Amino acid sequence: MARLHHVKRTGRPIPLAIVFLVTFLIHGPLLLMKLPLKSYDTNFHIFFASHYAHHWFDPWNPKWYAGFSQMTYPPLPQQWIALLSHVISLDMAYMLVQLVAILLLALGAYRFAALWVDRRAATYAALASVLLGSEAFLVYSAGQLSTTFAAPLYLNALPYLYEWLRRNNWRSLLKGSALAVAAAAAHHATLLFGSVLFAIPVIALAFRDVREDTQRSETGVVFRTLFVVILVGITIAVVLLPFWIALISYPVTQTPIPHPSRANYILSPQWGLNYFLVPYGALVFAFPFILFRGSSMSRLRPLLLGFWVAFLLGLGGTTPVAGLLLGRAFEVLTMERFTYWATLLALPFVGLLAKELIDRYQWRAATVLVLAAGLTCSLAVAWASYRPADAEDFKVDTVAAWLNRDGHDRYRYVTLGFGNKISRLAVLTDAGSVDGEWNSGRMLPELTEHGAGALTSSKYFGKAGLDALIAMLQHADRYGLKWVFVKDPFYEPLLVFSGWRRVDDLEERTITIWAKDDVPPASPISSLREPPQWQGLLWGILPMASCLLAMLLVLIPDRRWVEHEVIDHSPPEENLALGRLIS
Amino acid sequence: MKGRLLAFSLAIATVALVVVGTLWGNQSAISVSDAKARLMASSRSPQDAVTNLALAIGRKDWKAAYASLANKGEFSQSEFIHDVAGNYGSLRTYAALDGFDVKPVHASADEAQVRCKLRWAAVVGNFQDVRDLRVVRTGDRWQVVWPIVREPKVPPQVIPVNYLRWDVIYRGPGDDWGAQDVESPHVRIVAMHPVDRGGGVAVMGELLNEDIVPAFVTVKATLLGSKGAAIASGDSSDKISHVLLPKQVSPFRIDFPGIRLSQVDSVRMQPFATLVSASADPVVEIESQKLNPVPEASLTGELVNQSGQVVNIAHVIGTFYDNRGQIIWVGDDYPTRALLPQEPVPFLISLPADVSSKVGSFRAVVSTYSLSRFQ
Repeated sequence: MARLHHVKRTGRPIPLAIVFLVTFLIHGPLLLMKLPLKSYDTNFHIFFASHYAHHWFDPWNPKWYAGFSQMTYPPLPQQWIALLSHVISLDMAYMLVQLVAILLLALGAYRFAALWVDRRAATYAALASVLLGSEAFLVYSAGQLSTTFAAPLYLNALPYLYEWLRRNNWRSLLKGSALAVAAAAAHHATLLFGSVLFAIPVIALAFRDVREDTQRSETGVVFRTLFVVILVGITIAVVLLPFWIALISYPVTQTPIPHPSRANYILSPQWGLNYFLVPYGALVFAFPFILFRGSSMSRLRPLLLGFWVAFLLGLGGTTPVAGLLLGRAFEVLTMERFTYWATLLALPFVGLLAKELIDRYQWRAATVLVLAAGLTCSLAVAWASYRPADAEDFKVDTVAAWLNRDGHDRYRYVTLGFGNKISRLAVLTDAGSVDGEWNSGRMLPELTEHGAGALTSSKYFGKAGLDALIAMLQHADRYGLKWVFVKDPFYEPLLVFSGWRRVDDLEERTITIWAKDDVPPASPISSLREPPQWQGLLWGILPMASCLLAMLLVLIPDRRWVEHEVIDHSPPEENLALGRLIS
Repeated sequence: MKGRLLAFSLAIATVALVVVGTLWGNQSAISVSDAKARLMASSRSPQDAVTNLALAIGRKDWKAAYASLANKGEFSQSEFIHDVAGNYGSLRTYAALDGFDVKPVHASADEAQVRCKLRWAAVVGNFQDVRDLRVVRTGDRWQVVWPIVREPKVPPQVIPVNYLRWDVIYRGPGDDWGAQDVESPHVRIVAMHPVDRGGGVAVMGELLNEDIVPAFVTVKATLLGSKGAAIASGDSSDKISHVLLPKQVSPFRIDFPGIRLSQVDSVRMQPFATLVSASADPVVEIESQKLNPVPEASLTGELVNQSGQVVNIAHVIGTFYDNRGQIIWVGDDYPTRALLPQEPVPFLISLPADVSSKVGSFRAVVSTYSLSRFQ
């Protein structure tokens, strides 16, 4: 204990400009290399963006599922890509939007952490966010643009909302609300689940701080909380009105599709590695500190509890919590996003830990921390290569060219063994498919009744996947489905015995083309889900407008709060021994 | 003190939740191969031993599965894999374990018999593998005695092949797919019979290739209501032999689930034929055909590949007629083993119980899939 009294506290905050520079240096080259294109969902977002680029006000996309509505997915990041694609390519537009999201995360992590810890620790938290394993995992392996775009917006919104709750600052109310609405326009799951996990600790903090502030009353905080919830709720309801209409009219009732993020990570350790160790990385060593420091300081307790709940949910089926708390949503959502949110909630603790370690061990601690964070980020980035979304990388340009010539695009097609290349193919071809990668948007009964994902990966869904594929092939006439592109010979016996004929091959015979005789040309499938024109107008205007408004409002200078300081976050002396657990 | 209490509470709660989730976990919401993942039991009962074996097979953890067997000294690991998961590109190699049931048959202190029903999802449909397993006690644990079915070894030999082949010369590279300058082969539906079956309508019949060239055929049927409006349409999918050599006949069946025959006024049939290259090879003979009565109503027999090439997957379609010669059922089966030259492979076409008693005669045809043809 004696040593602790001699700890020097001479460190200074890292300038945010340095944090942004580090972000550029680390993620800039990776994005310029277009690394996310290997991920699971990147091409899906680019496909959506491609549609917006050509049909901004018409969210009905005929290229997948014989027609589906893109209003089933909030559009903001994809619309930004669409806008930028008129200046740079779609791919580079995606990378640029993703880079902005990472930069916003650094800023948001700093602002959010500054609510809980002092400015210096907050800058460490911001720096940690740049090297966060879960961020790198989502960006380079999962390709979850919308999740990584929405969360930073919420993190940036919450400090404003805290100011509103605590100090009745109308300017902050406007800014925070606008940012929260923009975040909702970016991602629905983050709105419905993530925002709650972030907001409740901040509201609890505001109550706590107001309680300590003799000049203000808790009743005011109650009213201001209700006011902001109603205001933001109504605004989100309006901005995403077509989304809510689609969701209420056609709730997701299809048979749940299995996903390994819902596994028990102990019984299925391969998924534990993928969804726990890689996203958390060296952060697991900070768990004892988070637990004991978060418990010992009353100010940090709401944050600890928020982290704990997100942590448990992120464990998927390892505990019964996710199934109990999320109910039916557990069978629809993927759980890695909860791990991501848990790591974001852990960032203030990480900043605090880094500050204390550096105070105590100076450069030695800094070296170890940078190494640990660097290795965590490296592992998560490299994971996309060790466990790629597609085992095989191949071009689909020749397939698209084949479909686009000689009137082949008068018929629909399906691919087998193409993995997430089906999104890339859909961008390149004019032909429509009965398959797709946006499961919540599909309506064809052959796809919704069996509990399998994309037809192109049918075999990975066992009986459900093969049943769906067989049902679709049997109904080829109904959908004008004439072409099957086969990359995986596994499916050939099915095609041979069910009346499909091999008619051509591409890419040195690694892709074969099968046809069915006498299938009528594809005709539009009338769907009740096709949105009316006014909804397309709203969809094209309001989400982007909400984002532009947030950007304008954020430019208004803040009032300086002289007293804003999060005092000394060192724990009471009696708890220091616990803090030593990690040192 | 309050803080420490909270910390320990959260830590203990987390551990407790993980224990609960692990011991009583529900893995139904994850990937198929791991859907039954659970902590491996210690094989303290015959059922546990069989369950562990089935789990290892489901995970394709062949090393663990093989190691758990009591009679592993009698065969190699690769022989075990070929028995369970197939070889020679057979249907089993295109299948994954979708589930299993374990049922004890009888047990004594040192030995038990357990019925293990393995449900496989294959690319052309599903099949079951039922094995009665002997389980023996070895010390304090139980081990499965695997009833190995060894692959036949084909002796070195020369098989003379003499068969007809039809080649088609298309217009040339770059021509549109399927564009042909010749007339389509002439095919004709020689029998058609719609019946109510299993909560739907089944349209069965036979298609004849009347031409002197081979034809790639399919049959479509449209059910029409009383005012001539189409109620439903469908095609023969895999319930037909798609390649017909000259003068060959194939049965077909088209199912319309959820429709009653009383709703149907007429049926519009549309046979389609396209000229294709074809050969009579491989010749597959059907031997030892036998009609089995209820309760196991079925047609059984053996397929013998007369050619020198391996047939990876065979498809047997049986046509069943009543005493008046009218088609009363069309059924099919995919044997799960590859057809090696001259080696008989059994097949079994199930029959509905009510149909089996009316069967006066039957006929079976075979179509095949060989990997070499598509490489």
